[in-house]
Amino acid sequence: MKAYKVLRADGRGVFTAFRWPLPAARPGEWVRSEPKPCRSGIHACRPSHLPLWIGRSLYEIELDGEIVDDAMKVVASQGRLVRRIDAWDEQAYDAYTRMCADRAHELARGHGLDNWEAVIEPSVPEGGALLGFVAARIAEELDGVEGYHRERATQAEWLAERLQLSS
Amino acid sequence: MAHSPLHISCQEVVELVSDYLEQALPADDAALLEQHLNFCDGCVWYVDQVRTTINVVGELRAEDVPEETKAKLMIAFRDWKRG
Repeated sequence: MKAYKVLRADGRGVFTAFRWPLPAARPGEWVRSEPKPCRSGIHACRPSHLPLWIGRSLYEIELDGEIVDDAMKVVASQGRLVRRIDAWDEQAYDAYTRMCADRAHELARGHGLDNWEAVIEPSVPEGGALLGFVAARIAEELDGVEGYHRERATQAEWLAERLQLSS
Repeated sequence: MAHSPLHISCQEVVELVSDYLEQALPADDAALLEQHLNFCDGCVWYVDQVRTTINVVGELRAEDVPEETKAKLMIAFRDWKRG
């Protein structure tokens, strides 16, 4: 199964600091671990999950073996990094952050949410993960859980289109 | 347990951090906590501090603690319980 893996800029796992075998001319080595969500296993994203976990570097990952599908991620018993998504560079990262900030402004201004409006620009230096969350929280305040999910879906579509991702 | 199925606050990170580090948190809550850590540098710093403290304190044996410190701790815990 094809999925996507967010790593730190240096190729280590975001939460585990695991040093992933990176792909070069060929895919990286297979990594194996018992698939238990948030405990062990190879954690990865479908395109729809990406806004929840977006970070500085992004890879396509091949998953195999036992695969656990979760609302927020997929977890597999084995995986290997296939290629770095080169389109996810500084420019794309900044563009995503800006898109989320603009969308947050649009929602907040359109409904007089001054408390939210005040936090948007100061949050921009923190990057797309935070701005995506801010936009989704404003949407949630306006339309409840559906609004939150709709905003996350819009962000995922932006990323999939810009980075040419598929599942 | 997290109050929202969608996200958790910094306050909830503080409440859940011990269970998270001990891998005692339900998987869904752990996922929400990690999502929060993905954008909140302040909470990343806090979780790292708690992790470091647990590692350091975990290496201490009761006999390593001076009697005077033990006495102070007993008083502090007694007062804390009364408060």
